Amino acid sequence: MLLAMKVTIKEWNAVATWRWDMPEDEVCGICRVQFDGTCPTCKYPGDECTLLIGKCGHSFHMHCLRTWIDQESSKGLCPMCRQKFESKRE
Amino acid sequence: MDIRVLDPNPIYLDQTFRLRFRFSNNYPIESPEVTFIPLTSPPRPVPLHPHVYSNGYICLDLLGASGWSPVQNVESVCMSIQSMLTGNVKAERPPGDEDFVRRNTLRPRDVNFVYEDATV
Repeated sequence: MLLAMKVTIKEWNAVATWRWDMPEDEVCGICRVQFDGTCPTCKYPGDECTLLIGKCGHSFHMHCLRTWIDQESSKGLCPMCRQKFESKRE
Repeated sequence: MDIRVLDPNPIYLDQTFRLRFRFSNNYPIESPEVTFIPLTSPPRPVPLHPHVYSNGYICLDLLGASGWSPVQNVESVCMSIQSMLTGNVKAERPPGDEDFVRRNTLRPRDVNFVYEDATV
C-alpha cells in the first residue's frame, strides 16, 4: 500500500553559479590570474571586470589590456602576437 | 637568479652568472630592470658578450620599452638571455665599453641602446 504525503512549499531560494565561457585553467597572460578571477585591481569578478577577446584570438582581462594599450610603447599591439589589438565584439 | 649556459659553448663553459631583477610597481606593464651582477664568492663573473657591458648592463631589446611585452616573465627573460649567450661566438665587450661604464649615470632601462648588430 502506498502512503501519500502532502507537502506545501512555503519558500524557496535559488542558487546559481556562473563562469566565463573560457577553458577553466586559462590565465590572463598579463596578470597570470585565471580568467574566472579578477584582474589585480578589482575585487569581484563579473561585468565590471570583464574579458576582452581579440580578433587575433588572444584574450586578457579588460583592465589588464587597457593598462597596456594606454602605454605609448604598446603601439596598440597585442602583447602575445604583436598584431594590432582589435576586440572581437564591440 | 643564477643562470648557466647548458650547451658546450667554450666562452661560458663551467661558468654561472648572477642576474638581478628589479620590479617596479608597474610590472608587468613595464619591463623589469635586469642586469648581471659580479660576485667573487661564489664566483659569478659578468659574461663576455658584445651586448653585455662590463658593469652588467644588458643591451637586449625585450628589456627596453620598445621590445617589452607584459606577457614576458622572469622565466622567459632568463631564456632569452640564455639564448643570447648560447649563440654567441665573440668573446668580447661592446664597442666603447670602458667609456660607457665610466660615464654612464642612467638606469639600464633609460640608456638609449642602439640595437645595431642583430647577428649576435
